Amino acid sequence: MSLADVTADEPRRAFMLCNEAIVRGALEADVKVYAGYPGSPTSEILDTFYEIGEKMGMRVNISANEKVAIETIAGAAMAGLRGITSMKSVGLNVASDSFFSLGYTGVKGGCVLVVADDPHAHSSQSEQDGRSFAPAAYIPMLEPSDPTEALTMVKYAFDLSERHGVPVMIRTVTRVNHQSGIVQTNKLERTAFAKVKWSHEPTRFVTVADSARRFKANMLERTKRISEEFEGSQFNTVENPGGDIGIIACSAGYNYAVEACRILGSKMPILKLGTTFPLPKKKIADFIRPLKKVVVVEELSPYLELRVTAIAKDSNPSLSIIGKESGHLSEMLEYNADIVATALAAVLGKRTPVDYGKVLARANELKQGMPVRPPTFCPGCPHRGTLASMRKALRGIKHVVSTDIGCYSMSPLEPLKYGDSLLSMGASLGVAAGMQYALEEPVIAMIGDSTFYHAGLPGLANAVNHKCNFKLIILDNSVTAMTGQQPNLGTVPQDGGGVVQPLVLEEVLKGLGVTDITVVDSYDVKEAPKKMRESFMRPGFGVIISRRVCALYGDRIKRRKGEQIVPNTVQKDLCNRYFACIRDFHCPAISVDEDGQAHISRDLCDGCMVCSKLCPVTAIKSTGGSA
Amino acid sequence: MSGEFSAILCGVGGQGLVLLSNVIGNACASTGLRIITGEQHGLSQRHGSVSIHVRIGPDVRSPLIPVGSGDAIISLEAIETLRYFEYLKEGGVVLMNSMVVHPVTDSKAVVERKGKAAMYFDRGSVEAGFRQITQNVLSIDASEIANRAGNALTENIVLLGALSVLQEFPVQTDALRQSIEKMVPPKAKEANLKAFDLGAEASHRRFCGALPCKGE
Repeated sequence: MSLADVTADEPRRAFMLCNEAIVRGALEADVKVYAGYPGSPTSEILDTFYEIGEKMGMRVNISANEKVAIETIAGAAMAGLRGITSMKSVGLNVASDSFFSLGYTGVKGGCVLVVADDPHAHSSQSEQDGRSFAPAAYIPMLEPSDPTEALTMVKYAFDLSERHGVPVMIRTVTRVNHQSGIVQTNKLERTAFAKVKWSHEPTRFVTVADSARRFKANMLERTKRISEEFEGSQFNTVENPGGDIGIIACSAGYNYAVEACRILGSKMPILKLGTTFPLPKKKIADFIRPLKKVVVVEELSPYLELRVTAIAKDSNPSLSIIGKESGHLSEMLEYNADIVATALAAVLGKRTPVDYGKVLARANELKQGMPVRPPTFCPGCPHRGTLASMRKALRGIKHVVSTDIGCYSMSPLEPLKYGDSLLSMGASLGVAAGMQYALEEPVIAMIGDSTFYHAGLPGLANAVNHKCNFKLIILDNSVTAMTGQQPNLGTVPQDGGGVVQPLVLEEVLKGLGVTDITVVDSYDVKEAPKKMRESFMRPGFGVIISRRVCALYGDRIKRRKGEQIVPNTVQKDLCNRYFACIRDFHCPAISVDEDGQAHISRDLCDGCMVCSKLCPVTAIKSTGGSA
Repeated sequence: MSGEFSAILCGVGGQGLVLLSNVIGNACASTGLRIITGEQHGLSQRHGSVSIHVRIGPDVRSPLIPVGSGDAIISLEAIETLRYFEYLKEGGVVLMNSMVVHPVTDSKAVVERKGKAAMYFDRGSVEAGFRQITQNVLSIDASEIANRAGNALTENIVLLGALSVLQEFPVQTDALRQSIEKMVPPKAKEANLKAFDLGAEASHRRFCGALPCKGE
């Protein structure tokens, strides 16, 4: 795909990532405001809006966090403009306070939230199933299964939102967001961005006491109306009617169910649900009434399964419901067609054409001894230097590290195994506060600049106020690195900007009352440990800023300016096989060669020179950029 | 199933897998083929495992290949090939770059055993593993070919050229070449097309006679 397909005026048949199809759908719905914080698997939605927003006459806001983002589109929608936000599963936890209230107040302009769960926790701290938020907040929820459906649903969501004055949640999973396919786009008809006038109605958007109770009653009525609309929705379809064993599926699970039927050569009736709150209960009752068995195919929690069970109590009490409760399918990890085919085969008394268990057993046997490839820091990553300095500064001192969400979340993994706790965005500070009460050892909190602005500020203010005795390390690499180097509140725009005013970390800290601030260069593994050690030895709360731009981001700037990336090399006559570069530094560019000496890959090395500073015999030198 | 083609594209972060999948996807869009892909690129750091499932055919629905039914594995890094072993069907095709990027944990283990490069996990055992289920394994020095084509970053397109030769792969060579021209930066166009042709040549030499190839 290309951005040209997303922004083309005329309809096209294009190969698109689902996240891009979501943006296209919003553009076709003439969306005016986007706000969001990056998070896998939704980051490409933010990236695409960021790229094209201005050209499309939109206001695009890369927000401090998901809560600010949802409030931003809520404000625009209260005024009457269409707004959309995107967030990963756990982002909704952060935004949930306003999410629930927004269900009460409702909106005037279309207001759409894309929330992406991550079965298998590919790039998340949990396998959270965000679907339970929708009924809890009385906010309607749509679940697409592929890019084409996602585009259509986003457009419909804006329409639904405005007709019922309600925010609409589009819930996806990794295998939907990161699915690409052929998408037929529609004509793009954008109107110019124009401000609107506020029409003042007392307590229209104010939920407190009386108005809250009034909103609650309205919300129940609204849900009933939407439920009736969903009974006839184009997104709930029955395929292959007839037979006495059927399937109910949604989202990615639907794709696997269709494929599983194909694998088994079985034509089974399938009820595909696209509107999963409120559910089309009559449609479900009609579907299950003639069945003896129904297989519910959905990843993660038994959200549909439990509701189908409740509906069956009246419409078909003898129905056998196959799913997670019956033990045929798991609440863990993501599915695939073979997993669903295995469950269906058991129900149908058939055999799968491939013995999946045997294939997996043989694969596992062959992979014995195969090296794992844990996620690791990129060559040139400043975090590798910071962590080396921290460990050097604290050598001989037992200490506890409360870390946070970001690339540095990898430090507790192999091979470094450095770090003791990790909960959620910004949690390092609160956890450290509790640890310093409880522990004899000194406590260190570790957070990145983006995560600090996202949810670290309250924890910092709290630590200052309570005179907590721990040190905070802020790894300031200028961007939100892990999700693709998006700008954050502190990022200085490369083009000079003008639209944003970057925050200055030292000023923010001073403003919040921090008096002990140390700044080090992440690459300076000779001087930084000394400064860090001095800071660690001082009593009370203090902050160390370890600063160096993210290597991937820095390389991109270098390439744009036509600057060379100059790799290092090992001088073979000097290398004495001490291997500090491999044992302590763990850079993917460095390996062992045929002579049993360290070797640096010219293609991978970023030329950060940190390994050369760690080498006790200074055998690592720059190649000088002659190539 | 007949008329369908499923392949895993794999490697380590930073090798251009997403571009590779987009080149195939665009070629499908322009020739009326139905394609679905499932990408795994969560954490954006380099050198982690990356994989993309590619599925072409009128009735494919799942973005993931069911276990034991992939037609091919296209791998930009030798060891990663083995990580997706369970997806390949018996007799499937393996096109792998002979290059190895050693995981940092593996290098650490080697120095702890005071070893040399020979003590790394052996690429040969990857090939031997696949030989249990298929004879159609081709290991290509894509880095050497890419350099010969004039751009070290074209290893992904070398592998695409190698794949394009197979009769079973339903995307037409012309469409792939046009898609490359559209997707890569203008100044890299020539080198990429050359890389495509050189990859095709290497694959043709290996498989012609053993497997149905295009243009025979």
